[in-house]
Amino acid sequence: MKKSEYLYLDHAATTPMREIAIKAFIDAEHEGFANSSGGHNLSRKAKNILEQSRETIAAIFNVAPNEIIFTSGGTEADNWSIKSLFNKNIDADSNLVTTNIEHEAVLASAQWIKDNDYNVTFSACLESGELDKSSFLNAINKNTIIASAMRANNETGIIQPIKELSNDVQKKNPSTLFHSDVVQAVVSDKIDFHKEGIQSAAISAHKIGGPKGVGAMFLSSEIKLPSMFHGGKQELERRAGTVNVAGIASFASALQEQQNNFDDEIMIMNKEKEEFEKIVKDNFKAKVIGESEKRLPHISNIQFEKVNSEVLMVDLDLNGLGVSRGSACASGAQKPSHVLKAMGVSKDFINNHLRFSFGWSTDLGDGKKAAKILLDSLEKIT
Amino acid sequence: MKILVAMSGGVDSSVVAGLLKSQGHEVIGVTMKLWEGANGEMPETGCCTASDSEDARKVAAKLDIPYYVMDYTESFSEDVVDNFVGMYAKGLTPNPCVECNRSVKFDHFITQAKKLKCEKVATGHYAKIIKNKNEYELHKADYLDKDQSYVLHMLTGDKLEYIDFPLGTISKPEVRQIAAELGLKTAFKKDSQDICFVGKKDYRNFVNIRIDISSSGEIVDKKGNKVGDHKGIHEFTVGQRKGLPGGQGQARYVTKIDVASKKVHIGEKKDLLVTNFLLQDVSFVNDIETNNLAVQTRYNSEDLPCTVREVIEGELEVILDTPTYGVAPGQFGVIYQGTKVIGGGRISSKVLEKTE
Repeated sequence: MKKSEYLYLDHAATTPMREIAIKAFIDAEHEGFANSSGGHNLSRKAKNILEQSRETIAAIFNVAPNEIIFTSGGTEADNWSIKSLFNKNIDADSNLVTTNIEHEAVLASAQWIKDNDYNVTFSACLESGELDKSSFLNAINKNTIIASAMRANNETGIIQPIKELSNDVQKKNPSTLFHSDVVQAVVSDKIDFHKEGIQSAAISAHKIGGPKGVGAMFLSSEIKLPSMFHGGKQELERRAGTVNVAGIASFASALQEQQNNFDDEIMIMNKEKEEFEKIVKDNFKAKVIGESEKRLPHISNIQFEKVNSEVLMVDLDLNGLGVSRGSACASGAQKPSHVLKAMGVSKDFINNHLRFSFGWSTDLGDGKKAAKILLDSLEKIT
Repeated sequence: MKILVAMSGGVDSSVVAGLLKSQGHEVIGVTMKLWEGANGEMPETGCCTASDSEDARKVAAKLDIPYYVMDYTESFSEDVVDNFVGMYAKGLTPNPCVECNRSVKFDHFITQAKKLKCEKVATGHYAKIIKNKNEYELHKADYLDKDQSYVLHMLTGDKLEYIDFPLGTISKPEVRQIAAELGLKTAFKKDSQDICFVGKKDYRNFVNIRIDISSSGEIVDKKGNKVGDHKGIHEFTVGQRKGLPGGQGQARYVTKIDVASKKVHIGEKKDLLVTNFLLQDVSFVNDIETNNLAVQTRYNSEDLPCTVREVIEGELEVILDTPTYGVAPGQFGVIYQGTKVIGGGRISSKVLEKTE
């Protein structure tokens, strides 16, 4: 199978870099290779590229430039927000509230807090795939330091009621920091952090066509968090380490390009996804997860009746369609998703799912092509 | 031919993938993930570590073949690990590798291969499959030092039809040489000897935390006199010498484990001599044979000349030409005719009792 014939529907995992972002990386490395913290002319060029990139990104999320701190990606931002306040200066009964459908970066960070003997609530999720607001709010009390809920789920695409939730959390405890992992939501939704009551957020560049290893933390200007890394005084003393100027320039360029083409890109993703889902449902006993919910337009999680999706995924790959199954564990085996488990999908069905995710480079006709490969495989292995 | 190759991350299966690819076959590599910790973490030692599947992945990348890790943990946990623990609880000596081949590996693997429209599956086992007229026979590997036909005895002719053991005619040093020539990083990797889910740790600890250890009881001598106490029959296997009381100057051995009375019987070495014993859950590769037979009672042990008698379907009595030591209930008895595997089954404690 030639690579060019390969149909890639795993954009939620990562997506190709946009040409303009690759060019921005190279240009920034040529003009702004110097250390942006240095005191000479070349450093000022790097610093200039850095700050322009910050302004571009800040404007897109309708926030102030100093509310954007660059990181190595979404995982770092999640770890930072969730873990850094739980240090030796806080009360022993301080607690954290999050959901049981979060991305591993949040779940594992929260587990780390729990392992350090703080009270952590992993609040439940409804069968619909939406977080259970009342169970989340019930867990908020006067000692809740952080509440964390994702803006949209990365495995089902289901959009979470963050604006209402953050508002209600604020009413219950105005001093609770509201964090949101928006990594997947940014791919196909517009977000205004302040309007949605989000005070800190994790953003990743590579999901929208930027480079891997680059991301940003949005941190509302009224919030101070202890640094995670110790070292130089970069990023206003908030994040140590020589700044990845070229990566950030590339990130800003990718994000700007996405915003410029937003409606067209979303229209194609949505059209192809809907076409794909329709053909699959018309020809096979299959259920689309969260079909009647508010979903991100690029994610389709499908349950195939009586089909083990482990073998199906292998067969699809061998026939030129790349998709994903759940989260990959250390061995590379793909485990059934914790999100589906949280939604109450029973043991008999949890191994029957695959996630198909569309992206900015999806072409018209891809949905139909993917459905054909899928139906051929299903016929073969069942 | 489209072939699904089981890749453990070791040198043998790496070479199998490399050889088949160089012969022009369409090779797909699969690592079977068999075991994981309570939170899904990979074992640190043994054969299913994260670094092993990482090695397999690197070899597959080097060979430019598709590669996948498939999750077999559920059936492995039920059919192999629970069985392993349960056998010790019954005073038996389990052989998890045989259990795994018998209940997990080949059945699942062949099923998946058929779904993926592969014509064969291949593994890095040292054994030979010979097609004789219309029958597929299982034979010892040419390189006897590594012969693994014992742990494969349960493969019946209809399964062998779908299996390829490319290392059956190759020696281990040759395998390492081929690996080096193919530039595979596993060329000089040490062979794994541990039980994959126990690793280097004492298997007793593994068993202890998984069963209710209330089987403490007495240690008794040949005459039935009490010579000591024990903390649980799972800590003993027939033929064991370590950790027994008494017998000044003379070595003592566990000769029998009585599950019902929780008594561990000890005696002298000669009490372990066995002439005939019973095999249960017997399977034959093709048909039963009766002439010129020999039996192996442990992996890669000596061939002991014998005759066999079918007691009832699935049960075979083995009568040795010469009495022998080291027949442990729970292990497998595998019947050979020359290099050909006839079949085998689990050694039962039933007849051992009768022979005393």
